[in-house]
Amino acid sequence: MNSIEEQLWNYIDGTSSPEEQKAITLLIEQDDIYRKKYNELLLLNAEFANMELDEPPMAFKYNVMEAIRNEHAQAPLKAKIDQRIIRGIGLFFVLMISTIMIYALACVHWSAGLSGGTTLHFAIPQIAQYLTSPLMQGFLFFDVILALYTFDTYLRKKNRTKTYTSVQSGGQQK
Amino acid sequence: MQSKLSDTDLIEQTLAGDQSAYADLVKRHQRFVFTLAMRFAKSREDAEEIAQDCFIKAYRSLGTFQRQSKFTTWLYSIVYTTAMTTLRKKRIATDSIDDEETFIQVENKPSGYDENNVENKSRSFYLSQAIDQLLPDDATIITLFYKGEQSLEEIAQTMGIEANTVKVKLFRARQRLKDKLERNLKHEAKELI
Repeated sequence: MNSIEEQLWNYIDGTSSPEEQKAITLLIEQDDIYRKKYNELLLLNAEFANMELDEPPMAFKYNVMEAIRNEHAQAPLKAKIDQRIIRGIGLFFVLMISTIMIYALACVHWSAGLSGGTTLHFAIPQIAQYLTSPLMQGFLFFDVILALYTFDTYLRKKNRTKTYTSVQSGGQQK
Repeated sequence: MQSKLSDTDLIEQTLAGDQSAYADLVKRHQRFVFTLAMRFAKSREDAEEIAQDCFIKAYRSLGTFQRQSKFTTWLYSIVYTTAMTTLRKKRIATDSIDDEETFIQVENKPSGYDENNVENKSRSFYLSQAIDQLLPDDATIITLFYKGEQSLEEIAQTMGIEANTVKVKLFRARQRLKDKLERNLKHEAKELI
C-alpha cells in the first residue's frame, strides 16, 4: 500500500488508475489529513513548476556554432576525400608496378649468361596503338566534366560559408 | 528573433546544409541544456563545456536522429550521457557523494547574498539552493519532469531506465527536495533569531 503522499503525488500527476482517482477525490473531500496534505503538495508542485532555468553565457550559441564551423573547416582533407578513391589509386599503382615487374622478369633470358656473351633484350610493349583519337577525346571529355563538377562543388561550399558568416555577424551585432 | 519553425523543420534545414537553422535550434534549447548540465557540474564553466559538447555531438549525429521520439528527448539523452561521461572522466564521484556531505559543502559555499538581509531572498532562491543540494540524478529527474515537458516514459528513455523506476525515483526526489527546502528555510529562520 502506498503512503498518503505517494498516492497524492500520483493523483496530482494523473498517473493513478481511475478507481484510485475517485477514491482519493472522496478522501480529499472528507478527510482533513488528506485535504491538508493535498493542499500542501499542490503548493509544492506549483513551486517546483516555477523553478527558474539557468542562463548560459551570452556568447554560448556563437561559441557552439564557431566550434562546429572550425570542425568543418579542419575536416575537408580527411572527411571530404573518399577513402575508397585513395585506396583505388593505391591499388592501381600496385597493380601497375606488379604487372611491369612480372612482365620484365618474364622477358629475362635467364640462360643467356651461361651460353655466351649476348646482352639482355627487353621487348617494350607498343602502347601507342591503343591511344587512338576517339579514346583520347573521350578521356579528355571525362576530365573536363570532372573538373567542372569539382569547381561547382567548391563554389557552392564557398557561398554557404559566406552566408553563414554574414548571418552570424548579423546576430552578433544584434 | 526566435524562429517559429518546428524542431523537425529546423533539423531538415540543417541536414540540407543550412547551419543557421542549427543555430536556431541551439538558441531554442540552450537554456534547458545548460540547466541540465548545471545539475551535474555545479560550476558554470564545467556546465558550459558539457552543454557545448552536447550541441556539437548532436550536430554530428543529427543524420542518425530517427524522429521516433521528440528531438528534446533525444537531445536530453545526449546531455545525460555526456554529463555522466564528463564527470567520470573528471573523477567526480557523482553517485557516491554522500548526501549530508553535499549539504555541508553547499552550505559552506559563499552565497553571494547578505546574510542579514534574508528577507530579500526569494522562494526561488531557496528552491534552486535545495536543488543544488540534491544528487545529480534526483535534480535531473525533477528538472526534466517540471521544466523539460517530458513524460515519465520520455524521462525513462533519456536516462536509460524503466518508466516505473522513474516514477519511484521522482517520488523520492520530490521528498528529498521538500526536506532540503524545509531544512534550508529552518536554517535561515534560526539565523534570523
